This record gives sequence, C-alpha cells and structure tokens, in this order.
Amino acid sequence: MKESPQQKKLEDILRYCPLVSGGFMGEDLRPVKEIIDTDTHTVEQLGYTNEQIAERMEYIRNEGLKGLGSVVKLNNGLEVRIDDNRGLLPSPWPDDPHRSSKTITFVLDTDTGNELRWSDLSIHLIRAHGFYQGHGSPFRLNPSELISVIFK
Amino acid sequence: MIDILTAIFIISSTAAGLAAILVVAERFFADYGECLITINNDEKRTVKGGGSLLESLTSEKIFIPSACGGRGTCGYCKCKVLKGGGILLPTEEPYLSAEEKKNNMRLSCQIKIREDIDIEIPEELLAVKEYKVICKKIVDLTYDMKQFIFSLQEPAKISYTPGQYVQLFAPKYDGNTEEVYRAYSISSDPADNTIVELIIRLVPNGICTTYCFKHLKEGDQALLNGPYGDFRLTDTNAKIIFIAGGSGIAPIKCMLHHMQNITCLREAVFYFGVNSEKDLCMVDTMRAFEKTLPKFKFVPVMSRPEHPEKWKGETGLVTEAVLRNEKNADQSEAYLCGSPGMIDASIVVLKKLGMKESNIFYDKFS
Ligand SMILES: Cc1cc2nc3c(=O)[nH]c(=O)nc-3n(C[C@H](O)[C@H](O)[C@H](O)COP(=O)(O)OP(=O)(O)OC[C@H]3O[C@@H](n4cnc5c(N)ncnc54)[C@H](O)[C@@H]3O)c2cc1C
Ligand code: FES
Repeated sequence: MKESPQQKKLEDILRYCPLVSGGFMGEDLRPVKEIIDTDTHTVEQLGYTNEQIAERMEYIRNEGLKGLGSVVKLNNGLEVRIDDNRGLLPSPWPDDPHRSSKTITFVLDTDTGNELRWSDLSIHLIRAHGFYQGHGSPFRLNPSELISVIFK
Repeated sequence: MIDILTAIFIISSTAAGLAAILVVAERFFADYGECLITINNDEKRTVKGGGSLLESLTSEKIFIPSACGGRGTCGYCKCKVLKGGGILLPTEEPYLSAEEKKNNMRLSCQIKIREDIDIEIPEELLAVKEYKVICKKIVDLTYDMKQFIFSLQEPAKISYTPGQYVQLFAPKYDGNTEEVYRAYSISSDPADNTIVELIIRLVPNGICTTYCFKHLKEGDQALLNGPYGDFRLTDTNAKIIFIAGGSGIAPIKCMLHHMQNITCLREAVFYFGVNSEKDLCMVDTMRAFEKTLPKFKFVPVMSRPEHPEKWKGETGLVTEAVLRNEKNADQSEAYLCGSPGMIDASIVVLKKLGMKESNIFYDKFS
C-alpha cells in the first residue's frame, strides 16, 4: 500500500529526526507502523499494555528522582539513577504538542546485570504511540527485555 | 464507495497542491516591502517583510533565546506583540499559557512580518550579542564533564553579570542534521572579559553535548550568543547558601570569582552534591576560594562514596547535609543550580529552615 503524506512525514521525522542526535530509527529499515505493530504484539502476548508499561517506567523514574542524582535501591534488586537534565524536548510526532523533560532513567538489575536506560520522551512515545524505537537506536527498548526488568 | 474515495482523493490532492503553490508563491512572489519593527516603544528597525520576526530580529543583531533554530519546537522565543503580528497560530498554542495568551505573548519564530509591528522584549536582550570564538582549551573534569574555554574573537570582549548564561551554537555533524543553540551558564572569572568558560556535562545522544564532546576540538571556531538570564547575586549582606549538583557548579564558580574580585565579606557556604568520588571536581579551585574569601566554606557531599573508609566529608543527599549543618536560615539567601529535582528538594529543605521563598534564587528556565 502506498504511504500517505502523513505517514511519509512521520517516517522522515523519526528517521532523520533533528530533535535528538541520530534520530529514533537506528538502522531499522522497517516502516514505523510495522515496528509499532510488532512491538505491540509482543507486549500483548506477554499480557501487558503500553499504558501499564509506561506507568511502571514512570513509577521507577519517580522513585529514582528521590535520589537527586544518586543511586536509589528498589526492593526488587533494581538500582535506579536519574540524570535530571534541564530543558524540554518536544515529541517528534507531528501534531503532538507533548513536551518531555530531558530526564534520563538508568536502571541496573543487580541480579542479572541487565542495564536499561530511557528518557522521559521514551515513556511518552510508548504511552501515546506504542513506539519503542527502531533497532540500533540508542534509546530502543526491547519490549520483552523491558518487561522482564521493570516488572520483576 | 470507490467513487466517493476517488472524489475525496482528488479534492484533498487538489487542496494540498493549491496550498503548496500558495506557500511557494508567497515565498517567491509576495512582496511586503519594508516593514518597521518598533521595540519597547523606542528602538526602531526597518526590515524586509516576509521573514519571521525571529529571523528579522537576528538579522538586526537582536537575539531572542531560541533552542530549536526557529522550528517552533522549543518555545523559548517568546515576546510580547502589541500590534501587527496577525492571529495566534495553532503552532504557537501549545507553548503559551492562558495568562501569556491574554498578555499577547507570541512565539517570535512563528510570526511572519507582513506589516509594521510593535513588540516588547526584556531590556537586557538588547545587550545580547553574537560572539565568534575560538575553543582555546578543553579540560576533562570527570568522566562525563568537561570545561571548555573559549577566547573571544569578534567582538573581543564580553560583559555579563555572574550567574548569567550564553547559548552555544552546535552545527550539523555526522549523525546530526540540525543546527541548534543550547544554554550554558558562564563559569569564568568575570575579571577576564576576553574569555568565556563553560562547564558541560555529556547527555547521552544529546545534540549539543555530543558535538562538544566528540567533534569540537581545541583551535576550532565556534559561535556563542548572550548573555541571558536573571540568576544573579543580590547586593545585600545576607549569608549565602549555594547548593549545586553536577554542572550546576558553573554559575556558582563565576559568582565566587566575582565575590573575590570585589573582596566580598559575606558569609557563604557551598554545598556541592555528587554521587561518588568519580563525580567530584574543582575541589582545588574551591579550596583556593576558601583561602581568598575569609568567610567562605566549601562542603562537598557524597551520596555513595566508593571508598567510605577514605572519604572524610559529608555523606548522603545534598539536602540532608544542608539540614544537618544549617540551623536557622531565616536571614540567609540561597542560590541553587542543578537538576529541577534537586532545586525542588532544596526549596523544601530551605523553607523548613525558615528561609523566605523570596530569598531563594535559581534558574527558572527548567
Ligand atoms: C538556563 C540554562 C542553563 C544551563 N546551563 C548548563 C550548564 O552550565 N552545563 C550543562 O551541562 N548544561 C546546562 N544546561 C542544559 C543544556 O542547555 C542542554 O539542555 C544540555 O546540555 C543537553 O543538550 P543536548 O543538545 O546535548 O541534548 P538534547 O539534544 O537537547 O537532549 C536530548 C534529550 O533526548 C534524549 N534522547 C536522545 N535520543 C533519544 C531517543 N532516541 N529517544 C528518547 N530520548 C532521546 C537525550 O538523552 C536527552 O535527554 C542549561 C540549561 C538551561 C536552560
Ligand atoms: S525558536 Fe524554538 S519555538 Fe521559536
């Protein structure tokens, strides 16, 4: 099916996005819709929704914020540190007025050694658009890996 | 059904085509002649109509803060339009509060100059200049923080109030297609008005910090504009409590240089919060201030020292150290610089210690 002008605009913005260094798609050549559909399917198969994931990420971020930049230990073996940078970042989605702060959450699962990081914009992109980013994007979150860490 | 879809397709394609023609035609054929920009009811500039207000002001060397290069995505370029800006555009709406809309605030990058226009901007923006600079020296402070010293080429001197910031221009580079400006607090000694020193912390995949850390080299040319901001010391004699974390040390260092230059005798204490030994920096500089400013004390606070047996200083959160050491702050002033979370937590603690909110100063930008 031919891409609509809106889809083409979105594709271009996410691939060559001027908002962040390197864009949101990495080396992933799949259309945005396919990336979103595949990840959403994985999330549903694991029994979660994008909203639940975003909510949990937000909870972990909020716990981490209490450390004012130092590491906070959560009960479940997770260690969280927040880089709370000044400034705001707009959503790359056309016509989406949302602005996220440039806060970055770093999570270490001390049991497995798995490390994850996400920015506030990642939370918004998951909640509002089901977008976990393309393979190779430095902020790509693999849904099954993300779920195994944040819901442990 | 197919007929309806075909009709919709033809109508929307025609509308889109016409809109595109109009945009192109406006760009190439519309002639708005010369338009007059009146600034603060005083200064007048004649510009060629058709460009954005932000572009036209920049071409007149009047700089309004802008972090997105005029693309309507940062919301920094606000100014008050009293006459001639046209109607508020949907692209501006998300960035303006109800109060701002009532007060005729607009995004200057979104307004097209088609007629004479009257605007109001803070007086100090008229003093903002663009500086061509050379990156003279880059010093590693920690694993993710560097000090950049720029020597001014043109103009050759800068005047600013300690606490203010400049905007650094990040050009396009491999992996980044956008030119942006980002705000950085000045950390230099204001006595030397031929240099600007910045302390910058790397943000993963950040456009400007990736440029500074991976592409900018000693000897390279760069562009700054400024100074901006109203974060500055008052001229009272109240005791000062500085609280900062990470690159928030930058404006505090500049203020301390200034206090040294004017032989300031105000009592002052600087709580500098870091995570562990690897985040601690500028200790020698701060100890030197302790020697020249007789009533100044530097208190580094480490939340998770890697070698607790060796660390003799304060531990825990920076706000906990403030609570432990300060008894009554009702006659003191506080200057805060760091993450929004640290600023919020510090305000809570300072109010608990009796400090009036009006005596707490910080960058309100965040
Ligand atoms: C008044 C003021 C003074 C300041 N002073 C200083 C100072 O003295 N020192 C200092 O270091 N900073 C300072 N700052 C902050 C500075 O202006 C910049 O905001 C900061 O350096 C980050 O800029 P950047 O261009 O590198 O990052 P940006 O490009 O603006 O940030 C991008 C954000 O998006 C995230 N991101 C990147 N890629 C993705 C992706 N694919 N998906 C999701 N998220 C992603 C990044 O991690 C980051 O959080 C100041 C800010 C203000 C407002
Ligand atoms: S310059 Fe960024 S919104 Fe106008």
